[in-house]
Amino acid sequence: MQALFTIVLEILLAIVAGTALGIVLVRLLRRSRQRRQARLAAGPRRSLLAFVADNGEEGSHDLVAIPEDAWRAAEPHALALLRKLRGEAHLGLVSVFLRRGTARTALGQLHSRSPVRRARAAQVLGDLELRQAVPELCRLLTDRHDEVRVVAVRALGRIGDPAAAWRIIAALDRSDPVPSLLATHTLVQLGPEAEVTLSAALDHPQARVRAVCLDALGLLGATGSVHRIARVLKEDTHLDVRIAAAAALGRLGTRGALDPLTLALHSSRPPALRAAAAKALGDLGATSAVPTLTALLTDDAFHVAHEAAHALRHIGPEGLAALQESDSPHALEALALAEVLTERKAGVPA
Amino acid sequence: MLELVRDVLRWADLGIFVYFVALNSGYLILIALAGLEFAKHLRRMPFAGSDDMFRSPLTLPVSVIMPAYNEGPGIVAAVQAMTALRYPRYEIVVVDDGSSDDTFEQLRTGFELVEVPRVVPDDVAYRSQVLAVYVARANPETLTVVRKTNGGKADALNVGINLSRHPLICMVDADSVLDPDALLSVAKPFGDDPLRVAACGGVVRIANGCKVIGGRVVDVRMPKPWLLRIQVVEYLRAFLMGRTGWSRLGGLVVISGAFGVFRRDLVVEIGGLDPGTIGEDAELVVRLHHHLRQRKQDYRVIFVAEPVSWSEAPSSLRVLGRQRRRWHRGIAEILGKHRTMIGNPRYGRIGLVALPYYVVFELLAPFIELAALLLLPLGLWADAINTGFALEFVLVAYGYGMLVSLSALFIEEVSFHRYPRWSDLARGMAAAFLENFGYRQILAFAQVRGALAAVHGRQAVWGVMNREGFDSTLESAGSLHRVP
Repeated sequence: MQALFTIVLEILLAIVAGTALGIVLVRLLRRSRQRRQARLAAGPRRSLLAFVADNGEEGSHDLVAIPEDAWRAAEPHALALLRKLRGEAHLGLVSVFLRRGTARTALGQLHSRSPVRRARAAQVLGDLELRQAVPELCRLLTDRHDEVRVVAVRALGRIGDPAAAWRIIAALDRSDPVPSLLATHTLVQLGPEAEVTLSAALDHPQARVRAVCLDALGLLGATGSVHRIARVLKEDTHLDVRIAAAAALGRLGTRGALDPLTLALHSSRPPALRAAAAKALGDLGATSAVPTLTALLTDDAFHVAHEAAHALRHIGPEGLAALQESDSPHALEALALAEVLTERKAGVPA
Repeated sequence: MLELVRDVLRWADLGIFVYFVALNSGYLILIALAGLEFAKHLRRMPFAGSDDMFRSPLTLPVSVIMPAYNEGPGIVAAVQAMTALRYPRYEIVVVDDGSSDDTFEQLRTGFELVEVPRVVPDDVAYRSQVLAVYVARANPETLTVVRKTNGGKADALNVGINLSRHPLICMVDADSVLDPDALLSVAKPFGDDPLRVAACGGVVRIANGCKVIGGRVVDVRMPKPWLLRIQVVEYLRAFLMGRTGWSRLGGLVVISGAFGVFRRDLVVEIGGLDPGTIGEDAELVVRLHHHLRQRKQDYRVIFVAEPVSWSEAPSSLRVLGRQRRRWHRGIAEILGKHRTMIGNPRYGRIGLVALPYYVVFELLAPFIELAALLLLPLGLWADAINTGFALEFVLVAYGYGMLVSLSALFIEEVSFHRYPRWSDLARGMAAAFLENFGYRQILAFAQVRGALAAVHGRQAVWGVMNREGFDSTLESAGSLHRVP
């Protein structure tokens, strides 16, 4: 037994020493690599900054002529810069990337076996805002790796081609769908031209799809869809969808939203929906909603009364006057907050 | 008879040895899993989409709840640091849990607080009395301060949950310093997988010795005292690697109260934190597992390793002992409270792997450690084992422990390498060696006392943790110290 212990001990000591040595080696190698990368990237980074400072008018040939290893070292910086730029400088830098063959390489890598490579390629194509890549990126919406699908959705949003709308909506109708908030954000990025597709999708059998489309329509300010949204608020079988419809109507801010939201406040409706409708009326800012909201200040459901009070605060002077006449604790809270906000706005010192 | 005693001692010593090997092998497996997870995380960094999340108007807003009890010296700097986090929409709810020092006065003058008659909902029960609610004059919708009678950390958190307005709640300690992107990283999984992610823990590292400017850790350094250096290595091994490993296994049962994000609706559904348990943070996670497993819901409780929350660690053995006694008491109470889950296939990996592991390798570990200290000399005295065997036994057992700590340092060096100085690297390796001589044994004693206190149901005592606090100005720089 003791002999066995001796052998184990010797092996263990060797592994311990090897691990300690490994830590030192890893640090040495990493530092040496970092120094090399920094040296390689220094020149291209200077050229990139000069190019951007010049609004992308001068220096593109220099950037295209940078040797491959130096460009690789500077590429993360160039991509980060690309995401921050707008206008001519952005277009100029995109053109540099295209001339260097980055888009071609990325399109090829969309078919890579590695999910990491596919996702990275999708990210690059999104950063380049390359419209030609839309069909390929749409294909990635059914990728078996969720992270690839997520990056593809994001890239499609950056490109902003409304033709991708229905494919993104379809990606929501899966057993493992893309995240709802990401899909909503992307659909909004596609712009007003996506409204028709989004409005049509309000009849989709999948509740998640309807909720996402409602959020997107609200954020897009799709006033042409008010009646369809109002119908969803009234008739949909899913509470979450109806709540999304109420929020969307509030964001749209049109007169046509007033009646359906007021109807949704009825005491027979679920408290979560009533609270959402009260909040939406506040977002709407309609003074004609003041009497209805005032009546809710003493509602038994905490969140309904709370949202009604803050909706009145949002409405402005008429709402505040109604709050002052009420002795509901929610009204007192909303008034106190309104006072602090007004003081802050007016820059009144403490 | 003597021969029988010798046989018993011989087998007991061998059993303890096997236990040590199994314990360290368990750690090593978790560290290896953490290594895989870090590699995955780092490869995906370029397309993680954190910037998109920061820019999106749809990113889920977060309520940061910060319970504070006698945190006067550092509370303003801590809240200021929180207000500077990189996150699109969040509010901070500071709950002054009946402090007897100037915590509230500091907040009132620091943020020009204005009292508002907030109506406190009773989404989760709390046993104290809310005295008043205040908002910051400059940011009334971002900073809320609640004054309440003392009711303990769990009770303060429950009041904070009631006052929180956002769908995600983040619990942080008042002495925590978060990296600027910490909230973004910990909330990100909720956006990426909103249907399944129920809770997400962030890693806590030791801030002592680091340079903190304007509520930001700007220079990471090893602290000077060896007691703290050993804790740095211990935190790396147990918190960073251990929890990442458990997260990868789908068996994470501890999210530190110093930094964790939860879905508010789920926390409300399970009744908030349990004020009757001393390890309320871990208990909440176990209860969440209990609840969601019973509902047969597909969910995830995960852990993100970067960026981090920095916390002050005890620099005296007495305070450290008290902390570990409390932690171990917490483990014992949680395992006792949720004993029906242990070994129960209904609770999946939590019931069959994570909780049994906690019983055998966390709860019992200090008992076995102390038993080894007793039985090994006894075996020598009774001639059950010879000196050579005993020596090699100790060397193998502790050598393996040292290998585990070095492996954690290795993975840290490969992945995040937060300690840039060569001297700190050397100190970390030395600490991995030194922790085996005295540190572990003394803490094992404290842990045993904690477990026994849980068994006997003695009154839980938090004890005093004096703090000097972080730098409160944007210009000044300095190191974190604790009042001696």
